[in-house]
Order: sequence, then structure tokens, then C-alpha cells
Amino acid sequence: MLTIVLRAIIIYLVVLFLFRIMGKRQLGQMQPFELVLTLIIADLATIPMAEIGVPVLHGIIPLLTLVILHFILTLLSRFSTKFSMLISGKPVIVINPKGIDYQALKKLNITIDDVFEAMRGLGFFSLEQVEYAIMETNGKLSVLPKAEAAPVTNENLKLKVDPAVIPVSVVSEGKIMKDNLSEAEVSEDFIHAFLQKNVGKAKVKDVLVMTIDKNGLVYLQMKKGEKQIFENVRRAA
Amino acid sequence: MKIFSRVMLALIFVFLVAMCVLEDWLATSALQTLQDDCTRIEALSLDLENLSDMQLSLAVDTLEYNWTNNESNLCYLVNHKSIQEVGMEIAKLKVYQAENDVKEFRASLEAVKFYSHSYRHFMGANLHNVI
Repeated sequence: MLTIVLRAIIIYLVVLFLFRIMGKRQLGQMQPFELVLTLIIADLATIPMAEIGVPVLHGIIPLLTLVILHFILTLLSRFSTKFSMLISGKPVIVINPKGIDYQALKKLNITIDDVFEAMRGLGFFSLEQVEYAIMETNGKLSVLPKAEAAPVTNENLKLKVDPAVIPVSVVSEGKIMKDNLSEAEVSEDFIHAFLQKNVGKAKVKDVLVMTIDKNGLVYLQMKKGEKQIFENVRRAA
Repeated sequence: MKIFSRVMLALIFVFLVAMCVLEDWLATSALQTLQDDCTRIEALSLDLENLSDMQLSLAVDTLEYNWTNNESNLCYLVNHKSIQEVGMEIAKLKVYQAENDVKEFRASLEAVKFYSHSYRHFMGANLHNVI
């Protein structure tokens, strides 16, 4: 049993390491060759884990080989558009201003229902709303809505708005996120002083989440209590 | 591509090449040693009526010792179940020698020799294994 436990740990660490060096693509964003790779990796990893007679290297060697192959394919795809199209395919327009391209659907081996489902996922419930729909190589549908169905933007309304700012998490579940402090332009002392001033005796460990953005908007929620919003907080580091 | 990934890929590549070379070298040398030991035992036992000869006993012990060492190394690279027959056959060989059963001894020796040939088909790099 101990052997299986140790083998499982080794294989897990190797697979984790491989996925880390392969990048951070989400499952839905995978190109066909990446999906194939993931499926094979999952299968290969389980064989030496359970079968004691099989050396762990019999699982690790093919995994490492596949990662090398993956990087070679990625590199070739980057250098050659033709090669990229060969292994990943190319985006296909399935809806154009004339309507649904049935031939394209047949080529992609998908049904009209599949297109409707993907459209609904993007918030379009009628074909009338769609100018173009493109089936991407990763299997996702991209939709360009008709001008009258497109969401209104500030630009359309000619509104002047402040630039968007991202709130940075500085405390999460009782721990100061030290890596984020420089991004938020605050120091640990600032956080302690802010809590003392606004929440009294509460300490950092009592904070569930605290974010701050560059406009000085602070979102604070203690582990026991409701959220509090503070505006125009001066971020003296 | 990050430098980290490039270094890791280079290390993985070197590791893979090293493992392939190591496996081929280990398998070839282990099977060659096995074959050589068998040939020596065969030559020694050729005209013997009594298998309790000192030199033959030493040769059989050497065969067992060499294989035990090589087997433990091969187990890192080859499925253990695929190579365990040799160990079993060598154990039989020793029993037949102790019982002075010449016929079974020779049959066992032939079996070990056969394994030393046939194992080359699934160990190391060759077209049969690939296809």
C-alpha cells in the first residue's frame, strides 16, 4: 500500500509540474492537439500508479515525451500558419448576413441546435440579433451582433467616464497579500492603521477580504460581519 | 516562452535521451552477461555425468548473482513481471543441479538461454517494439 501511496504522490507531482510548464490554458480554450494531450496524460498517469509491476518511469517517460512534443507543435504552429491550420483547423463562419451556412455546419459536424446553444450561452436568443457567428478552432462560438442588438457603450452615448481601475486584494482570509501591496500602493502599516481606525480592536486575522483600488475605494468584510465600503481613502504608504 | 520553460524543456529532453541510452545499455549488457554465463555453464556441463562439479557450481552461482544484480536494475526500466521468468528458471537450475538431474538441468539452461534471446525483442530500441 505504501508503494501505491508513494507512486501516486510521485505521479501527481510530475503531472502537476508538467501542467505548470505547459501554461495556463483553460479546458475550454484548448486546441485539438492540446485536448488530445490532456486526455492521454490523464490515462498514462494512472497506469504506473496502480500497477506495481510497472516501473514509475513507464508513466513518466511518455508524459515527458508528450510535453516535448507539445512544445514542438506549439513552436511550429507559431512559425507556420499552414501548420497551425493543419493541426488546429481554422475558424469557420457559421452565420453570415445571408443566414446560417448549412454547408459549414455539415463540415464542422455540428447541428443548428449546437449553434443555438452556444449563442444562448453568449446572451443571444434570436438569429435576428446576430450578424456573424464564427466557430473558433477551440470549439467556442464568437458572435458579432447586429448594430441594433449590440449593447450600448459609453462611447455610443458619448459619456465621459473615469478610467477603469482594478481593486487589488490586500488581505485575504486573515492574511496580508504581501505580493499585492506594491500594486495597491499601500504598506502593511497602512492596513493595520486602517483597521484600527475603522474597525476598532479587529486584527488582520479577523478580516475575510480587503481590497483597495487606485481611486481609494476600500472594500472590507470581516469574517464575522457585513461588508463595509470606504471611499476616497488616502493611501499613505 | 519563458526562460524557465526553456531550461525545463532542455532538461526534460536531456533526461529522456539519457534514459533511452541507459535502458538500451543496461538491457544489452544484462542480456549479454546472461548469455555469456549460460554459454559458460553449457561448456562446463557438456561432458559431465555428475553435476556436483565445483567449477559448475561456481558458474551457476555466478549466473544467479549476475542476474539478481542486473534484474534489480532492470526493474527500474522494464515491467518486473516481464523478466521474472529468468529468476525462476535459475532457481530451478540450482535445484536440478543439487538433485543431479542432468536432463532437466539442460532443459532449464536452454530456457534461460531462450529468454536471453527473446528478451531482446521487448527491451531496448528496435522496430519490433515500436510497431
